Amino acid sequence: METALNRFAQAARQPDETARNWKAKTGKKVVGTFAMHFPAEIIHAAGALPVLLQVSDEPITVGHSGMYPFFCGYTRSLVDQNAKGRLDYLDAIFFGDHCVQLLSAADIIRVQKPDRHVGFYQLIPALRDNWSFENAQRTLNRCIEGLEQELDVVVTEEGLRDSIRLFNTNRQMIRELYDLRRQGKIHIGSSQMQNIVKSSMVMDKAEHNALLSSLMDGARQGNFGDVTPGVPVYLSGHMCHAPKPEILEMIEACGAHVVDDDLFTGFRYVSLDADESGDPVKSLTKWYLGRNTIVPCPTRLDPKIDWDGWLLNDARNAGASGLIVLLVKYCEPHYFYYPRIKKTFEDAGFPHLVLETEHESSAGGAMQVRVESFLEMIKQKRRPQVSTV
Amino acid sequence: METLSMNITAATQKKSNRLQTTKLNNRMVSEYWESLFRAPEEGRLVCWYEGIQLNPILQAADIAWCHGEAMSALLAARHEEGPSQQAAEEAGYDRELCSYARTHVGCAVMTQRSTPEEVSSLPADSSELKGLASRIPVPDMIISAYPFCSTGQQWDDVIYRTFGKKVPIFNISMPWIWGNKPSAKYMSGPEFRESVDFMVKQLKECIRFIEAITGKPYDHDRLNEVMTYIKRAAEIRLEAMDLCKARPSPANFFEWTNSIAPVNFLPGGQEIVDYFEKKKAEIQQRINEGVGSVPEEKYRLFWDGIMNWNKIGWLADKFAQYDACVVSGRYTHLGFWQEPQVIDLESPLDGMAQNFLTCPISISAPQVTEKIVQHCRDFEIDGLLLHGARTCRAFSYPQHLIADAVGKRLNMPVAMFEGDMVDESYYKDEIVNSRVEAMLEQIEARRARSA
Amino acid sequence: MTQFVLGIDFGSTTGKAVILDSNGNMVAAEVSQKGAVSDESVRVALGAALRHAGLQLDQIARTVSTGYGRRMVEMADRTVTEISCHARGAAHLIPGVKLVIDIGGQDSKVIALDDDGLVVRFAMNDRCAGGTGKYFETLARALNVGIDEMGPMALKATLDMQVTSMCATFAETEVIALLAEGATKIEVLGGVHAAMAKRTLGLISRVGKRDPVAMTGGVARNPAAVHHIEKALETRLILPEQPQIAGALGAALFALDDLRDQAVATPLPKAIPMDDNDLHGVEEIEGSSAPACKSKAN
Repeated sequence: METALNRFAQAARQPDETARNWKAKTGKKVVGTFAMHFPAEIIHAAGALPVLLQVSDEPITVGHSGMYPFFCGYTRSLVDQNAKGRLDYLDAIFFGDHCVQLLSAADIIRVQKPDRHVGFYQLIPALRDNWSFENAQRTLNRCIEGLEQELDVVVTEEGLRDSIRLFNTNRQMIRELYDLRRQGKIHIGSSQMQNIVKSSMVMDKAEHNALLSSLMDGARQGNFGDVTPGVPVYLSGHMCHAPKPEILEMIEACGAHVVDDDLFTGFRYVSLDADESGDPVKSLTKWYLGRNTIVPCPTRLDPKIDWDGWLLNDARNAGASGLIVLLVKYCEPHYFYYPRIKKTFEDAGFPHLVLETEHESSAGGAMQVRVESFLEMIKQKRRPQVSTV
Repeated sequence: METLSMNITAATQKKSNRLQTTKLNNRMVSEYWESLFRAPEEGRLVCWYEGIQLNPILQAADIAWCHGEAMSALLAARHEEGPSQQAAEEAGYDRELCSYARTHVGCAVMTQRSTPEEVSSLPADSSELKGLASRIPVPDMIISAYPFCSTGQQWDDVIYRTFGKKVPIFNISMPWIWGNKPSAKYMSGPEFRESVDFMVKQLKECIRFIEAITGKPYDHDRLNEVMTYIKRAAEIRLEAMDLCKARPSPANFFEWTNSIAPVNFLPGGQEIVDYFEKKKAEIQQRINEGVGSVPEEKYRLFWDGIMNWNKIGWLADKFAQYDACVVSGRYTHLGFWQEPQVIDLESPLDGMAQNFLTCPISISAPQVTEKIVQHCRDFEIDGLLLHGARTCRAFSYPQHLIADAVGKRLNMPVAMFEGDMVDESYYKDEIVNSRVEAMLEQIEARRARSA
Repeated sequence: MTQFVLGIDFGSTTGKAVILDSNGNMVAAEVSQKGAVSDESVRVALGAALRHAGLQLDQIARTVSTGYGRRMVEMADRTVTEISCHARGAAHLIPGVKLVIDIGGQDSKVIALDDDGLVVRFAMNDRCAGGTGKYFETLARALNVGIDEMGPMALKATLDMQVTSMCATFAETEVIALLAEGATKIEVLGGVHAAMAKRTLGLISRVGKRDPVAMTGGVARNPAAVHHIEKALETRLILPEQPQIAGALGAALFALDDLRDQAVATPLPKAIPMDDNDLHGVEEIEGSSAPACKSKAN
């Protein structure tokens, strides 16, 4: 079990090195992709390792000669990594999320490295229109064609179904860990849980499955350490990239016990499985359109789904006493939606705290005092007023 | 040989030589807004939308329209954006969010809070009554059609939710023109064609949505008629812009920006055709007389990036003081019915879709930098101003790439500075001055070298 | 026998100490301004408070520390954040207060309280010193006026000057530019205070306006700041007599809670034992090098 967790931590810390090592070992290709909704099974079925590109710890330097500082940390880091040659090991990049900042980064990346193909197949963000299914399906088919051409391979239906099965297995095991944590049967620190998910985004899926399996038995028997006392807290948000582990650890060190999350490098990544039988492109289309109903995303458009109401429900179900919103600076979809979350939680009398994160800063004193104050606020006892002169 | 002075100073008495025709534009805009405010009492349905020019489609169904950016820009130009921006801030919308969206959402928040009865019961001299923001009529429908910018689409979603999801919304998802294959060229190739077809399909669905709300069959003939005027107006506008290749340039970017309305959201009719005829005539007249848009045109500049609506007039004068004419810009010259020739007036939707999909933020960097390089050659531009609007990432993202391209291919200096469309707190005048001056010095240095 | 509790607020630019007796009466309250990031101001405030109360340090039964440097106060039995402490202190000084605006040396915060005087919401602006004590210090230097003169001068402004930038670091440059354009110091100061009030309003809107409103922290002593915030909020501000001690008072009240809880429960953990040297250190503050609390470089 220790080995598995260490491997996950390592891959989470050094995703590029992990991918490069895989490439050297297998002689196969590596295709990068971006957050958050692109079905990487397609890349896997094309015989390449899909790597969901991550924010790097490196401060952004050269990247600022390509992109302004008022873009989110994820996109700036991608542009910076590209400019520094850190992504040169990728044979191609294929992605589909429609987000103005992400597209900006992709455009800058392809102009600055014109020899490496960047394929963009726009997944329709409006999920409930009459043409949403047809358009998403066509997009995925076009994407597969593009991948086949770029990698000079053929993607078969059976191969794609196999990839779906593999990814489903992975998601199921991680969801089971989430369940066990929610039920209080195991304790996984929030940065440890993040390592498990983040490593799945960048490692060979079969290998990740094998490592996960090796710790599932222990987990089911409750061998993940005792639940530590603390104020039960739900973590929400932080689109597209991982919050710094120091921040997660600080939150727990202040006396919070993270019971659940809807983070991208968390439950959001594993929320839904795709059908394993029938036309696999239809399955992935359904999966793409259906994800939002399981964990609503502010980057998708669905008039029938309300993230704020869902979040209140999920936080209550998890037994949380407080919500901590991790809001990435400059993340516009989150900025748009946050006022609704604020209103819903305030109207319900459910305490919440916003921590704005920036690429350049970490869990400093300022952030810590907010978390401490928040936890104090939740814990404060009602007592008779002290009478004095 | 006379030594060229490197000392760039602003002559404070110089002012921009404004076109007379712009006054007509201002009148037409005021009339349009007043007619919008009257729409409910006249029994007309009201549509809120932002992004591309859907207005002809609405006009054909006799629906009144409010274009979100235009509303925000109007408020900023009249220095009335405060109350709606404050309403948005109080509701929890972050200052780093697109300021158009913030201002407009603020309007929605304010409009939600003020019923017609409340408004009519206010004292006659109350600032709220005078305030434009609370006067826009509540929408009967929302249509979302934003090219490239996901923020635009999400903005519409927020408006929809602000109105309690009670106002029907129609979503047009616009594909970004990326170009995966080598066959993807400007306005051609199978990928472009597929995108146009998808766009047309959604426009047709949109028309069905409108029919369901109005309860009347859509008047396609009326659409063709409206587009006839818009197409003609667009053609004349392009011709008038083209005339500004003349030296000195008879019109400047700030005026083209000031008169976006006739090709952006004013009703399609003889009025807009007449407007551009007049403008073109005035421009031609100036060329005949050798009159320029600035008292002395030593430098011809290009403004890249979205406009700064709070400060248009002031900026026009600033550049006049530097003897610089900002001749053109990406926002004005590469957009707004910029390809009228593809519009088939018997069946305009395809041509309209092509125009929507090739506006300057709908085409990605490779195509847009190419267009800018070409444009700068055609208009004999000396230097590039890159206005990095802080909250408009859609417009500002390619600016480093554009600066690189014009630098490498045209050896053209650039001045980059931050600002914003409607939030003037992001604009720092001292910084703009020093960067502009530095650029003008570089232009002088290049001239000295080649002299 | 009367016991005493101590609240220490180790702020970014000032140190404050409040001593209460076991009935909750305030027997001392001291503020010391000795510069940032050092425990000197705390030692001075503590020493002065003990002297005023006529007490020795070992007569303090329980100590709670708060403020930016709360963890550096070694004698503290526990720490509580300045949010909880300011709220507690303000609610004590102004019973029924529902909103507390605290603008201090380097940060500003707004705290909303419920009917029981407990925190329900808070917002902090500690990313930027615009409008805080630091900003006003820089401004005073740039305008070459005394820091206590600025408020009264600002009140004389009539022109409603627009000042868009509130950056403490660039305050000097901004001000010089404005003066060069012909603005008078009075008008600049008027504009600055109006802008600062507007920002405060932004912070308040995150928490939600409510009444009654109190203002604590050093900037509460600036009449123009108070005037402009009142104008922006359209409400009168309640100003406690000693606006800077709210945090330390709140900390002392938490210490008193502990003592009272203790009276019905098991003994409290012992306070860190103080020997004679430490006591002398406290009494001979000015010349002493023996620290009453450990300072750490930050």
